[in-house]
Amino acid sequence: MSVKTYAKAVRDTIAAEMRRDDRVFLMGEDVEEIGSIFGCTADLTKEFGRERAFNTPISEAGFVGAGLGAACTGMRPIVELLYMDFSFVAMDQLLNQVAKTRYVFGGKAKIPLVIRGQQGIGRGNAATHSQSVETIFMHFPGLKVACPSTGRDAAGLLRTAIRDDNPVMIFEHKALYPTKCDVPDDPEFMLPFGKADIKRPGTDVTIVANLLYVKRSLEAAEELAKMGISAEVIDPMTLVPLDRETIVESVKKTGRLVVVHEAHRTAGWGAEVASMVTEEAFRYLDAPPLRLGTKACPLPFNVDLENAATPQVSDIVEAARKVCYR
Amino acid sequence: MATTIIMPKQGLQMTEGLILRWLAKEGDTIREGQPLFEMETDKLTITIDANVTGTLLKILRGEGELVPITEVIAIAGEPGEDISGLLPSGSAAASEQPESAPAPQPEPEGNPAKPVSGERVFATPRARMHAQERQVDLRTVAGSGPDGLIIDRDIQEKANIRATPLARKEAEKAGVALDGIAGTGSHGKIVLADVLEKEERRPDAAARDAEISEEADETAIPLTGMRRIIARRMKESLTEMAQANHRMEADMTEAVRLRDQLKAQGIKVSYNDIVLYCTARALTEYPRMNSVMTDNAIIEKRRVHLGMAVATEDGLLVPVIRDADRMKLQELGGRARELGRLAREGGLRPDDMTGGTFTVTNLGMFGVDTFTPIINAPEAGILGVGQIRKKAVVLDDDSIAVRSMMWLSLTYDHRVIDGAPAAQFLRRVKQLIEQPALLL
Repeated sequence: MSVKTYAKAVRDTIAAEMRRDDRVFLMGEDVEEIGSIFGCTADLTKEFGRERAFNTPISEAGFVGAGLGAACTGMRPIVELLYMDFSFVAMDQLLNQVAKTRYVFGGKAKIPLVIRGQQGIGRGNAATHSQSVETIFMHFPGLKVACPSTGRDAAGLLRTAIRDDNPVMIFEHKALYPTKCDVPDDPEFMLPFGKADIKRPGTDVTIVANLLYVKRSLEAAEELAKMGISAEVIDPMTLVPLDRETIVESVKKTGRLVVVHEAHRTAGWGAEVASMVTEEAFRYLDAPPLRLGTKACPLPFNVDLENAATPQVSDIVEAARKVCYR
Repeated sequence: MATTIIMPKQGLQMTEGLILRWLAKEGDTIREGQPLFEMETDKLTITIDANVTGTLLKILRGEGELVPITEVIAIAGEPGEDISGLLPSGSAAASEQPESAPAPQPEPEGNPAKPVSGERVFATPRARMHAQERQVDLRTVAGSGPDGLIIDRDIQEKANIRATPLARKEAEKAGVALDGIAGTGSHGKIVLADVLEKEERRPDAAARDAEISEEADETAIPLTGMRRIIARRMKESLTEMAQANHRMEADMTEAVRLRDQLKAQGIKVSYNDIVLYCTARALTEYPRMNSVMTDNAIIEKRRVHLGMAVATEDGLLVPVIRDADRMKLQELGGRARELGRLAREGGLRPDDMTGGTFTVTNLGMFGVDTFTPIINAPEAGILGVGQIRKKAVVLDDDSIAVRSMMWLSLTYDHRVIDGAPAAQFLRRVKQLIEQPALLL
């Protein structure tokens, strides 16, 4: 175990995997000199050379497609998107090519491709650099979707992704990069996909959250505990595949569900979870499942307005109290 | 608004019930909690109380009909109300009459826990699930959620009120809310007496009490709760049945010896256990004695569920030993002691007191030689047992010997069984008691 930042955990995992397997390589905007602007690729070019860790032009459609081609021909590329918002530039590559190539060619090609990068609020990056876009990639079949909320989870899920023969998108969070936690040094440390993590056990209300909102939900759970409400905080870890069982079993126990994410509330992935729970645990519900998400507005540049648009800890507390009728 | 009355499910295994007797006829006023009809399942005979208050508009399934559970058997409502929409499909009226929109219901005043019957109860799915599991009637729960929505917590609080099953049943019958009662039982458990006391404090009970005049040299005991029930049942039994009585004196000398031998082995058996055991055995041989009478049939029961009268501080209770004829002597004795204890502690479940097919009552411990017991309706007979006394008896060989003697007194319903077969039954009980070797 070493205490390190989320960003360092990502960087060290990439480095370890590149050392282990020379088919693994990294490309993206600004990965060389400054180690991407958040330090997730620091010194990788120094260690592995420009053959295996190199800058791309500012052309997401081009280098995502290049990653797909490399994966098809036997490499195990890690493609970094500087902001996950930029995935939109490469949407045809991601949704029509990466997600479907294996399927349309009858399974002849393996696609061991990792697309990763950061997203979200916290730096006042405004409307086109602060979004949470994971829901879109959950909607179209063919991509695995991972959302690590801690450095430990980032390391474990990234290693599993790199060793997966199918395309995986990893959504990291810019506001979580400086957070520190214990990360296993074990070069084989992996976290399974489709296994949710109960970040805090509880009995009165189930809170399902990802990324930054796991942290905020845990803070809310502290507040709720002072009021005598015991909240169970579940991080799905991967949205595809989704660990339905852990969530449904938790709601069967608590009878109440709040889903909270930074993705827009309208048709956000929380709606999928709420609906799934209603279908599978209807008789156990003591209140309608509640969804919290970013309001239906572009994210503002101004930090105060950004806060107003996104769920705060107090909103989570209030939602949990509401479903508990307290 | 008219409501339907259905064949209720009484116990997990029940799929259909036989209607034995309607206790109200069409046009009669019925009250929630008051007996409405008697029915029989494969397990027991039971009186079902009305779950609505109103006028019995239509009886759809008559006496002697076997009806699947949840099927509509009657309709209650206001006199003159149009009930064509509630009649089972297939009847001409139902197919012609389009379902009319229900008239808006006035808000029930006062107690929100008791909505007008037929009014929709709003509860969360979880509350409904737990209400079903814990047998809480949603109509008796006050919802604490938004707009009176019943939420899970309301069910938990309701179900967590610690009360004996008897107290619960009485409270339900009388419409008394358990949450306002301080329990006087062990660990604050609400017992029957607490409910009865609460019942007496209700305004209508007060009105009833007001009419009781008490002179200076008198004590008036208000006729409430259990006393009222006992009074009604005893009177009904004597007015409805043709009760006749036979007596025989049994020689208990051998039974005394058997008991002493068992006692020496450390096996605890009472004389009453021996009487229960012999009675159960004799009932299997005389099924007519083990029967129930309906208006047009005598139903002989194939299973023997033996009631045993127990005197408690609250009054007489008759717990039932199920399948008494299939038990060994010690097993029967153990069960009798357990039920006796539960009766005295107020721990009997409603199930423990229903479905009896014959009753034994013993006043020997009070020094009674012989007495005339009253039948526990709707059974056909009851055996009264007196004390054992040593007497000088002339034996068959004209010698005089000291023997332990005990009177048996059988009251039987002459409508069901004639004097001669009743005498044969009693003689068989006596024979078994006198020769315990026959038990082996």
